[in-house]
Amino acid sequence: MAPKKDPKAPAKKAEPAPAPAAAPAPAPAPAPAAAPAVDLSSVKIEFSADQIEDYREAFGLFDRVGDNKVAYNQIADIMRALGQNPTNKEVNKLLGNPSAEDMAQKRVEFEAFLPMLQTIINSPNKAGFEDYVEGLRVFDKEGNGTVMGAELRIVLSTLGEKMTEAEIDALMTGQEDENGCVNYEAFVKHIMSV
Amino acid sequence: MGCGVSKSNQFHKHSRKAAVLIQRWYRQYVARTEMRRRYTWHIFQSIEYSGEQAQIKVRSYCFSMRSVCYAVFSHQTELENRVYLAGNLISHIFRENDVCWDTEWERYFCYKNIEVPEVYSGPHLTFPLTVEQAVGLLEAFRNKKQLHSRYVLELLLETWKLLRLLPNINRISTCQSKEVTICGDLHGQLEDLLLIFYKNGTPSLEKPYLFNGDFVDRGKDSIEILLILFSFMLVYPCDVYLNRGNHEDHIINLRYGFTKEVLTKYKIHGKRILKLLQKIFSWLPLASVIDQKVLVLHGGISDSTDLGVLAKANRHNVRNTHARILSKSTDSVSSDTTKDEWRQILDVLWSDPMNQDGCMPNEVRGGGCYWGPDITEDFLNRNNMQLIIRSHECKQEGYEFCHNRKVLTLFSASNYYDVGSNRGAYVKLGPDLVPYVIQYQASSMTRELTARQSVGRTERSALKVLREQLFAHKSDLLCAFKKFDSKNTGLVSLNDWASAVESVMHLNLPWRTLRCQLVACKTADGTIDYCDWFNELHIDQSLLETLYRHRSTLETIFRIVDTDNSGFISMEDFRQTWKLLSVYLKMEITDEDICNLAVTIDSNQDGSIDIDEFMEAFRLTDKKSRLERGRSMFMGTASDLTKLEDDPSV
Repeated sequence: MAPKKDPKAPAKKAEPAPAPAAAPAPAPAPAPAAAPAVDLSSVKIEFSADQIEDYREAFGLFDRVGDNKVAYNQIADIMRALGQNPTNKEVNKLLGNPSAEDMAQKRVEFEAFLPMLQTIINSPNKAGFEDYVEGLRVFDKEGNGTVMGAELRIVLSTLGEKMTEAEIDALMTGQEDENGCVNYEAFVKHIMSV
Repeated sequence: MGCGVSKSNQFHKHSRKAAVLIQRWYRQYVARTEMRRRYTWHIFQSIEYSGEQAQIKVRSYCFSMRSVCYAVFSHQTELENRVYLAGNLISHIFRENDVCWDTEWERYFCYKNIEVPEVYSGPHLTFPLTVEQAVGLLEAFRNKKQLHSRYVLELLLETWKLLRLLPNINRISTCQSKEVTICGDLHGQLEDLLLIFYKNGTPSLEKPYLFNGDFVDRGKDSIEILLILFSFMLVYPCDVYLNRGNHEDHIINLRYGFTKEVLTKYKIHGKRILKLLQKIFSWLPLASVIDQKVLVLHGGISDSTDLGVLAKANRHNVRNTHARILSKSTDSVSSDTTKDEWRQILDVLWSDPMNQDGCMPNEVRGGGCYWGPDITEDFLNRNNMQLIIRSHECKQEGYEFCHNRKVLTLFSASNYYDVGSNRGAYVKLGPDLVPYVIQYQASSMTRELTARQSVGRTERSALKVLREQLFAHKSDLLCAFKKFDSKNTGLVSLNDWASAVESVMHLNLPWRTLRCQLVACKTADGTIDYCDWFNELHIDQSLLETLYRHRSTLETIFRIVDTDNSGFISMEDFRQTWKLLSVYLKMEITDEDICNLAVTIDSNQDGSIDIDEFMEAFRLTDKKSRLERGRSMFMGTASDLTKLEDDPSV
């Protein structure tokens, strides 16, 4: 087992202007906890001992090197595997907005990961079934419960945290009917039934 | 217009929000699927490696039970006979019995008096082989034909003669701008080999190939793969190279399916073919070096690997590579082969790379070692080389670099653990010695499944296998739980459950993550009622059930006991085998139970049991069809067994 190093405190980033209109905040409430400078050492861990062991095991599954750490670019995925739903942007903020090289090279150990996870869990960005349906209704030009698959594809590949063509294909497989339309309530049920 | 602008702004804002929502969800889905895929992989791999280890344990247990067997048998009614028989049986299992010279063996393997009937519709071979015949053989196998045993023996004999002339380490060169194509484990999966030849072309003077071991076991067309590789090697002896793998070993073949495949396909001459293959396997080269810079071998290296020693060893004396670990005598290795040579060969065939520096024994596999990046660095420098290519481990993408891209693992059996589990890959190496990897996946089932369905399937079958394993260890698990439950409440905490399970199973799996798939019963405060849990694992207690669960071990013991490879064992042997097994597994089976069972299994009442028929009842041969058809293997009565015999779809 590698000797434990002191947990890295990510560099405090300068406060940005309050989130612009296009930011991923669903409600008009104040910007989520990640926007002001993140001080991870002050985050209070509220997980039970059992939960911590669960997270530790999952963390270990992603450690491909055997040094009890994971790379920066794996953090978002581990959180998602544990049931959270952060945007890449939120995670980058927690990591101190690292460069692409940092993302690939730098590694985080479990004790430093826990406060990050706690922060994400604490943030009020929880989306439910209605939020997704509401989000898709935007594209329902005719108000008939369907959206054009083609339009959805364009949106997913050009807006927000862009998806690749392969990712979009995997997502949309079997969702479009013969007219190229997607029934979005069914779609949301599908995407939530992991 | 002000209205128009703000409306489109609004729309844009909403559509962005919608996009981000979906993208976030999608990435979560991908991450969770990846996690499921990882632990499913862990399950299969752990069970595979612990199976290899169990193989050794069974053998070593049989050996150490020798004296106990004498005692057990001496309580039988026909005292002297039994003791004599048992002693013979046990010592025969472990004795290597070929003191004959090669010429005598050639006479034994003679094919000349084997007649090929008129009705035979497969290929006819004449020697020396031509490339047209080799390609014809490929076509015939693609069309599911079987090569007649006469030609099999003739081809194997020619192969044997050729292999005896080859050095321990093949020296390959990419001069004349030739690219060498290197393939990893094939494990009897003919579809993958055909796919490689389709994509890359068959071997020829312009297209040299190197096959890196593990051609047989597990898949159902191992013998066909061997015949193809050998025939191309005979046609192009300077352009087709073979390295030995750890599965080119007849003891391993007993457990992992190759022995059974040959005996099933060649009912009359199977024994002879297997015997000849034993010799061929031991004569396979151990490693290959390309342009003096790239080392290719099946397992890997250790901190003591010395190419000079390997080049001079008598490789054919190491017939099965596990023996030395178990037996106190040096039966399986002649005195010519020194201990050091033997150990180096073992390292070459069994080792795995690890990420930490250093070198330690590979306890998971039971042979070879784990070696670290510092060992690779040191070895390459000392030998003035730049890359090690090896196989031996299944990788999801068919290949994986490690040790700073100085070690490349290459695996060519796609869908190895289950349909959709992994891709296969092969490598092309030109004079620049930069490996160019090509991936593929044999398609019969995969294209019809989405990634999600594929992960789901594989996960379900992995969990099924895991539950069986857990239930098979019930008594040990109960003991372990009781240790944590001193007050006998019948409950253990989640932490204790995970520790107890790992301490018994030794599979190094993420038990907490798997918990929700394995344990449904849980009290409000998160403790687990372990007796309830065993009921939940729901496996019938009948004797046939127990046999089914231990079928791999049972079959291994059967085949060891069937020393003349006839495919039959006597009733008495069966009883004694079962006794051995029940002691090994610490189970309570009465003699009467065994007798009754033996009688029902001996369906034609002639006093001997057909191993294949018996194990066939558990549908060992076709793992895939068992999973696909999802039929329950659990049979309650003997009459079900006979019913199955008539079922054409079995």
